Amino acid sequence: MASDRYAPQLSALLDGELGPFHRWRMARHLKTCPSCAARLEELRTMQGAIRTTLIRHRAPPGLAQRIGSMLPHESVAPPVRVRWRLMPLAGTGFAGALAGVALTLLVLGGPSHQGGINVTDAVLDSHIRSLMADHLTDVLTSDQHTVKPWLSARLDVSPSVSDFVAEGFPLVGGRMDYVDGHPAAAVVYRHAKHVINLFAWAAPDAADAPFKRTTRQGFNLISWRHGGIEYVAVSDVEMDQLATFTRLVAGAG
Amino acid sequence: MPKDDPRRRFELLALPHLDAAYNLARWLTGSAADAEDVVQEAYLRAYRYFDTFRDGNIRVWLLTIVRNSFNTWIKDNRSPRLGFVADLPEPDSAEDERLLWGTPQDDPETLLLRDIDHAMVGRLMQSLPSAYREILLLREVEELSYRDIASITGTPVGTVMSRLSRARDALRRLWHGEAAKEANAANGTNAPKSTNVGETRNGV
Repeated sequence: MASDRYAPQLSALLDGELGPFHRWRMARHLKTCPSCAARLEELRTMQGAIRTTLIRHRAPPGLAQRIGSMLPHESVAPPVRVRWRLMPLAGTGFAGALAGVALTLLVLGGPSHQGGINVTDAVLDSHIRSLMADHLTDVLTSDQHTVKPWLSARLDVSPSVSDFVAEGFPLVGGRMDYVDGHPAAAVVYRHAKHVINLFAWAAPDAADAPFKRTTRQGFNLISWRHGGIEYVAVSDVEMDQLATFTRLVAGAG
Repeated sequence: MPKDDPRRRFELLALPHLDAAYNLARWLTGSAADAEDVVQEAYLRAYRYFDTFRDGNIRVWLLTIVRNSFNTWIKDNRSPRLGFVADLPEPDSAEDERLLWGTPQDDPETLLLRDIDHAMVGRLMQSLPSAYREILLLREVEELSYRDIASITGTPVGTVMSRLSRARDALRRLWHGEAAKEANAANGTNAPKSTNVGETRNGV
């Protein structure tokens, strides 16, 4: 069958790994070859089935700790297992444009943390890591309709994702992250050169709490709690700018 | 929390990818306990050589080490049932392909989504030779580019492309075999005619 001869090209086409010339040639070929067109559809079906149904094995509880304890020097801080249970975030919006801010909305689920020192450090770690590593985003797109399903597919929840480009905070993408040893989801926005990570996790039984400002290692943090969700915004922008931002987020909620 | 502490930096960068590392090891070894051994070994190795990691994608770097640790592990625990990733020949002739897979079969019918029993996907994946399973995991689960997969498997990008295509074709054939079995069962006949390619792979 012709589709056997073209199998590698079809496979690469599916993966978006063909160069423009070969892509164009395959597109032309597919119009006249039902066998290849059918094969491509089949490959797409299989890819979809694998991506949506294949079990992703999670590292067993305690493995991170065991690895940490095998490394030389001090032990790792014992991780608190967090189970993912995201609540849809209240719609967020920004009434004004802030100069030089990129935003990350990070959503955590599970047992409620009370915003103590460990959580502050964990949030800060995650923020720093997002800047250090080549890992600001997993899914790089300004399309909220791409980021939202991407996160939903991995978290069994549907965090609200909006593009605030009009307000000066274009959506950059989303990522899976870890805070305090636990998986987390992030929606990343960019505004000039700064980054704000807005962390949020479910705190279903906790009462609302007002803004609380903290400064640590040159980063500003503002945390608050609203509607059963704990938020922490982290950034190296000025505290006043960060406060404006958090007021906008909270106001939109 | 000094950021320049290498151990702290290692934990910050490497531990977030523990699930990805474990998932790959789990699919490669087929066992939870073995996967844990492989991942522990890989992380210790990664820490030992952490100063050789510069910029770039730490997940790709870690998965490379997981893969190498798996190959070491399989050498020490050689089981005829498990394929050895590095040993898989790149079949470049129809003859090689037959040796690897048994007699190839033409599949007249197109795989249809409605024919797919989703619980079957994992089973079919597990019955693939580990090199095929590995490349499918790197592509479909880790969603890595051919360039990154080439870096992990230590092969040229062209090999990634052809191996991935063969892996997909292998899975496709297994899938057709399953569909045929179900069709036969539904028709009250037994003895599916399709070749179970999984049974022939021990020659790898």
